[in-house]
Amino acid sequence: MNYSHAELDPRKAHPFPKAVLPVLRNPQLRKNVAHAIDVIQTKRARLVAEKDDWQELRTAASAIRAHALENLGAYLEQFEERCTAAGGTVHWAADADEARRIILDLLRQEKASEVIKIKTMTSTEIQLNPFLEANGVSAFETDLAEIILQLGGEEPSHIVVPALHVNRSQVREIFARRMGLKNLSDDPKELTNAARTYLRQKFLAIPTAISGANFLIAETGSVAVVESEGNGRMCLTLPRTMITLAGIEKVLPRFQDLEVMLQLLARSATGERMNPYTSLWTGVTAGDGPQSFHVVLLDNERSSILAKAKQRQTLKCIRCAACMNACPVYRQTGGHAYGSVYPGPIGAILTPQLMQMKFAQSLPYASSLCGACYEVCPVKINIPDVLLELRAQVVNQERGRAARYFDPMYVGLRIANLLFSSARLFHAAQRLGRIGLGLFTRKDGWIHSLPSIGAKWTQTRDLRGLPDESFHEWWAKRGPQPDKEAK
Amino acid sequence: MNAPLQSRQQILERIRAATLDCAQDPAMRAEAYAALPRAYTRHGQLSAEARLKLMIERLREYDAEVVETTPEALPAAIAAQLAASGKHIFVAPYGTPAAWMVTAAWQITGFEWNIDHGLTTAEIEQAEGVVTAASCGISDSGTIVLHHSASEGRRVLTLLPDWHLIILRASQVVETLPEYFARFQQPSGLVTWISGPSATADIEMTRIKGVHGPRFLNVILVRDKS
Repeated sequence: MNYSHAELDPRKAHPFPKAVLPVLRNPQLRKNVAHAIDVIQTKRARLVAEKDDWQELRTAASAIRAHALENLGAYLEQFEERCTAAGGTVHWAADADEARRIILDLLRQEKASEVIKIKTMTSTEIQLNPFLEANGVSAFETDLAEIILQLGGEEPSHIVVPALHVNRSQVREIFARRMGLKNLSDDPKELTNAARTYLRQKFLAIPTAISGANFLIAETGSVAVVESEGNGRMCLTLPRTMITLAGIEKVLPRFQDLEVMLQLLARSATGERMNPYTSLWTGVTAGDGPQSFHVVLLDNERSSILAKAKQRQTLKCIRCAACMNACPVYRQTGGHAYGSVYPGPIGAILTPQLMQMKFAQSLPYASSLCGACYEVCPVKINIPDVLLELRAQVVNQERGRAARYFDPMYVGLRIANLLFSSARLFHAAQRLGRIGLGLFTRKDGWIHSLPSIGAKWTQTRDLRGLPDESFHEWWAKRGPQPDKEAK
Repeated sequence: MNAPLQSRQQILERIRAATLDCAQDPAMRAEAYAALPRAYTRHGQLSAEARLKLMIERLREYDAEVVETTPEALPAAIAAQLAASGKHIFVAPYGTPAAWMVTAAWQITGFEWNIDHGLTTAEIEQAEGVVTAASCGISDSGTIVLHHSASEGRRVLTLLPDWHLIILRASQVVETLPEYFARFQQPSGLVTWISGPSATADIEMTRIKGVHGPRFLNVILVRDKS
C-alpha cells in the first residue's frame, strides 16, 4: 500500500487544482477525512453551544491576539528577559535555515545523536527532521499521529490530528511492518498500546527533546504546551535538555490571558471542554525537569506579514484547525493538496504569505469564500477577506506578463470588458450568442455539452440556453402602456 | 548566516518597522491592554453544592474515579483507594501532609512506599501509583491544576506511575477557568492542567484512554469547610 506524498514544500508543490486530482480519485482517503471531520464537528458544535459566552470569548481572544501583535517587539523582549532570568536561553532565527542551524548546534553541544519530539508544526515548516537526519541526528516523533506518519513515511494532512487521512487498518499495517508486530489487530486500543510500548524506552533513554509552543507568556517568560496523550509531559519532564521552537507571533501579554485561550482552543480543536494535559514551565526549575532550556524564536517571514495591515490578522492564529474542519473544500480534498504543512483555509492564507507570494499562488483560490472559516475562528481571523486581498495580489503579479494573452480566461474577460462597456456591442453580442449557442441548445432549453474551453463548464454542470428574446427587446416591442394610476 | 546578535536586532527592527502604526510606549501599551474587551463570564453562578456536583460529574465523564470524604475520614479513604487499586508500589511527594499518614493506611502490609526525597527516574518508573495534593479544581471543565509544590510533587512523579490519586479539597474547587486565574495571580513557574487521564483520538477520532500519562486518574474530594 503506498499513499505517500512528496514532502510538503510549497516551493515544489503542484498548483492546488492539479494537486487535488489524486485525492479526488481516492475514495478511501476522502472517506477517512470526511469521517474524522464529521466526528470533530459534531463534538465541537455541542460544546460550543453549551458555552453562553462563546462570542464574548472570541471577541476577547481576537483583541488580545491583535494587541499582542501590535506590540510584538516589546512583548518578545519582555519574554526574552523573563525567560532568561528564569534560567532559559533565547535564540533568534531570522529564517528556517538559521533555526535549523541553531538547533543542530545545540544538539551537537549535547553530543546528541537522537532526539525526541513533541508534535510541532513549526518544525515541519522549517523541514527540521530531514535536516537533522542528514546531519546524523535521528528525530523520534512521540505524538501518536506523528508516529503513524513518521513510520509510514507519510506527511501530515491536518494541524491538530495530522494522520486523520489514515484509517485503523492502515495504521495496523504500518505498525505491524515497522514495529515487527505481526499479530497486531486493528483495534485502536491495541494500536495505541503498541505506540506506548514503542516509545516508553525512548522517553526514558533519550536525554534531549524538541517541542513547539502553543503560547509564550511575556509577563512571566513561560511557555505553554497543549496536548492530550502525555507524550508532551514526558518530553518536557524527563530529558536533560529541552529545545522549544516557536514562531515569534506566539506571544501573549499575560499569564491570565490563558483563561480566554484555553477555553477556546480545546473546544475549537478537538471538541473537548479541556484537553487532557496543558503544561506551563518557566526557564528551568531546580530538581524538576530539564536543567538546560532553549527557546528558538523563528521569524521566517512573519515580520513581513505583520507589516501589512489587512494581512496581519493571519498571525493571530492559535492553530486550532477549526477552519479546516469547517471548510467544504478541505472536507473534499484533505490536507495534502495544499502542498504545505498548513492546509485548509488558514493554510490558504498563511502559506503564500510565508512564501512571500512567490509560491503557492493557487491557494487563495482554493476556497468558495463561503465564510464558514471566519464564523468558527476563535480569534476572528477574517479569512475570506485576506483570501480576496491575496487573490488581488496574485492578479497583480500576472499583470504585465506577455503569457497572459494566451490564457483563455484573461482573453475572455478582456473581451467581456469591451462588450459590457457599450450597449450597442452588448446587444450585437447577444444576438450572435443566441445564434451560436442555439446550435448546442437542446429542446429542453438547456445546453448539456459545449466544445473546446466551453467544455470546462459543461462537463460538471448544464448551462441554460439563451432565451429567444432579451428583456430589452421585449420591453421595446411592448411599446408604451396606458398608465393605470393616472386620473 | 548572521551572527546571533545580528539576527535578534534584525528581527526586532523588522517588527518595529512593521508596527509603526501602533502605540510604542509602555504607558500607552498598558492602557491599551487594560482596555481590551473582556465581557466573557468571569464568575460562576452555581451554589457551592452544585459546583462540587458538577466537578464530580465532569471528572466521571473523563473516566476518572471520584469518591467524597471528610477531613477526618481522609486517611481511611486513601487506604481504601490504595487497596482497591490493585497496585503495590507507590510514591508520594516529600511534602505529603503528615495528617494523611497517621493511620495504618501508609503501612498496610504488602504496600511499598517511596517518599520522593530525590528519587531517580528509574525508581519512579518502578512505582505503580502516586498520591498527591493539588492546587485547584475547575468544575466547568473538570480540570485539576497542579503547581508542583512540595505536596503536589515534581512533574515526573505525577507522570510515570500508571495510577494517580489526587486529594482535592472542596474549598479548592472553583467553577470557571477565570476564577482559577483570579485566585492565582502570581503564577507558579510550573503548572499542569489535567482534565482526565491521558487520551488520544488520533486513530479515527476514537477516544482511547491512556497513552503515555497515567491511565488511571482517581480523585478524593475532601469536604472541608469552604
